[in-house]
Amino acid sequence: MKREVRFAEIAVVGGGPAGLCAALEAARAGARVVLLDRQDHLGGQLIKQTHRFFGSKSHRASQRGFKIAEALTREVASHPAVEVHTGATVFGFYEDGVLGVEQKGRVFYLKPARVIVATGAAERTLAFPNNDLPGIYGAGAVQTLVNVYGILPGRRVLMVGAGNIGVIVSYQLLQAGMEVAAIVEAAPVIGAYWVHAAKVRRAGVPIYTSHTIKEAYGKREVEGAVIWQLDGDGKPIPGTEKDLAVDTICLSVGLSPLIELLAQAGCRLAYVPELGGHVPLRDENLQTTVPGVYVAGDAAGVEEASAAMMEGALAGLHAAYSLGYGQQDYEARRAAIREQLEALRSGPVGEKIRRGLSKAIIQL
Amino acid sequence: MLPVDGIPTPEDIMAKMPPPERLARGPVVMVECFQQIPCDPCTHACPRQAILPMKDINEIPRVDYEKCNGCGQCISVCPGLALFVVDLTYSEEEALVKLPYEFLPLPAEGQVVAGLNRAGEEVCPARVVKVVATEKMDKTAVIWLAVPKNMAMEVRHLKVKPRGTTVICRCEDVTLEEIEHLIKVEGVRTLEEIKRLKRCGMGPCQGRTCLPLIAREIYRLCGTEPDSLAWPTYRPPVIPLKLGVLAGGGSDDAQA
Amino acid sequence: MRIEQHPILEFRRGKKVKFIFDGKEYEGYEGETIAAALHAAGIRVMRESPVLHRPRGLFCAIGNCSSCLMTVNGEPNVRICTEKLREGMVVNSQKGKGVLYEKRS
Ligand SMILES: Cc1cc2nc3c(=O)[nH]c(=O)nc-3n(C[C@H](O)[C@H](O)[C@H](O)COP(=O)(O)OP(=O)(O)OC[C@H]3O[C@@H](n4cnc5c(N)ncnc54)[C@H](O)[C@@H]3O)c2cc1C
Ligand code: SF4
Ligand code: SF4
Ligand code: FES
Repeated sequence: MKREVRFAEIAVVGGGPAGLCAALEAARAGARVVLLDRQDHLGGQLIKQTHRFFGSKSHRASQRGFKIAEALTREVASHPAVEVHTGATVFGFYEDGVLGVEQKGRVFYLKPARVIVATGAAERTLAFPNNDLPGIYGAGAVQTLVNVYGILPGRRVLMVGAGNIGVIVSYQLLQAGMEVAAIVEAAPVIGAYWVHAAKVRRAGVPIYTSHTIKEAYGKREVEGAVIWQLDGDGKPIPGTEKDLAVDTICLSVGLSPLIELLAQAGCRLAYVPELGGHVPLRDENLQTTVPGVYVAGDAAGVEEASAAMMEGALAGLHAAYSLGYGQQDYEARRAAIREQLEALRSGPVGEKIRRGLSKAIIQL
Repeated sequence: MLPVDGIPTPEDIMAKMPPPERLARGPVVMVECFQQIPCDPCTHACPRQAILPMKDINEIPRVDYEKCNGCGQCISVCPGLALFVVDLTYSEEEALVKLPYEFLPLPAEGQVVAGLNRAGEEVCPARVVKVVATEKMDKTAVIWLAVPKNMAMEVRHLKVKPRGTTVICRCEDVTLEEIEHLIKVEGVRTLEEIKRLKRCGMGPCQGRTCLPLIAREIYRLCGTEPDSLAWPTYRPPVIPLKLGVLAGGGSDDAQA
Repeated sequence: MRIEQHPILEFRRGKKVKFIFDGKEYEGYEGETIAAALHAAGIRVMRESPVLHRPRGLFCAIGNCSSCLMTVNGEPNVRICTEKLREGMVVNSQKGKGVLYEKRS
């Protein structure tokens, strides 16, 4: 089969916060960028986040996630050096460094000199009886239905997982008019920032740590769930079952980086649980073991949006630099972004990420 | 305990309390942010720089209570919704709590809502003194609640109670729950007061439908016999007339 | 159920369109996904699983998990959580692995 191949300087796969910032940084340095996202809008996870973001004020903290997405999308769309393709799924990374792209039923091929993969992460699920009943969703899926399309999947929900995502989505479901029966968390402590937990708690949502879902039940759809308590070894304690009448169950039990394209590209991967699973090994500039191929954002390790933006910027900056652009400001700009990224990760809640990164960052 | 169930302990709260001398002098901020997280918008939010700058964004915010005047401008900026203002000097019996609120419906000024504590339990009725929701606050409203003084350190959220479906006054849509609240919580004892507060009896029916029901509630809740109540006076017309009938003297049909 | 009022968001909905699901007519809005329109109508069961014949619905809502496959305009295995609704679409719950050009009555 003869295929027509287009050339490009830098291709960015994924238009979430990481990809958007990668594209902007590279374009500002002077490179020409092609940005591809399979959704028909840019912004990635941010478009469904109605809450104000944490982080530093100088990095848009206190703004609502979807507004950050709007602002970044506007900046990218108005930059003449960025060519945006939405509804464009990158379905393959071939040996010769060619990307296969499907856009609205058409296929085209792209051979970029540099590729930045910022594909984000996928929600994990959990094994329990009837875990496939309609009415059981990933927390992000419910967030999409509720905050993007304005549709409630049910009236009363059980949230499984008390990390930031589980707790924030619970709060958003309350705002949208659903009742949250409970949040259960298998670990003995809440993973979310305590201020988030406090705010759903005072709105009347019980949070049960050392608890998990035993089973869901219902004929064709969820009609209820049974939760039970776990002992110090994480084993369920019979007799502690509680029956909750819910019509919806949300699973927020972690994300796994989407690294298929990087694996196809031949990047060396490592299993780093602290970062969410298999991630590509990379250097300080986010360059993987395949020269010219970069990774950024949740695809490099599940973290949060501010870090994703800065990683994207670092990758974009270096990719442009390696092509001869932005030579003058490079060192200063790089130092500034790295300093902010380090500040973000330096506290006690960044401990796990730091541990993960120490296994994933190598000297190339 | 916060990390286990999301509820701060009394010790956690003590540690966040402004000094008693400062509390005694009027409204002041209370920063209920207990954990080192990478977050700093509060430090940029105060026009008086009362929330101190951080060297490292993972610091727990610190306050110079002498600089804070309790204006509440910082409240809607905090992504953790962890900032509150407490005024123990609000009145003899009541304290004022200013808190962030991001739900619908927004309560109305003057409305009585349920005050919730940090565990989400209803602890007292709370009167909405003011609802601040400017464009700049981007949908995080700040609600000023008057609460009994001993509840100032308890109430941190509110619940707008549904108005109920047992309708007492059809003209003004007043429900049983509202009448009960007036009698039980606000200490109202007379038909005249209820008429003034809720307009029961001032609608087109002149109280024919509602006043007997209200009198019965007063009897049920405080034992006052209906015939010992002062009944409002009736003014003409005793039946609603079409507009202009009295003025123009025309017949009903001619007006239609 | 559609959210009419939201404390933070305003939902701008597109043009109203009609579509057929399992032989019955429903309404949705242009620009939303088939999954969204079905959920708005209270329909959460999308198909029957191929081996165990269990009812299946949505899981990820962003095209990752393939839990939501349905037959759309005769074409099986369409991920309706990303496929946009269009006027006159014929959507059928899918049984098993899906049959191309399945008979519709
Ligand atoms: C409920 C929730 C609350 C959160 N709260 C916060 C918070 O308060 N503060 C914070 O900093 N962070 C928060 N985060 C985390 C933050 O949203 C993510 O870390 C961030 O979005 C990751 O950015 P990303 O660009 O790496 O990935 P994403 O935002 O996931 O974007 C990836 C993009 O890649 C596209 N894509 C994937 N594969 C392909 C392909 N093959 N071809 C083309 N395009 C593809 C996707 O369509 C998507 O648009 C939250 C996340 C969630 C889910
Ligand atoms: S209440 Fe007003 S003065 Fe006090 S810290 Fe907040 S913004 Fe500053
Ligand atoms: S803005 Fe709020 S959550 Fe962030 S540090 Fe300040 S008080 Fe804590
Ligand atoms: S629900 Fe996961 S692909 Fe549609």
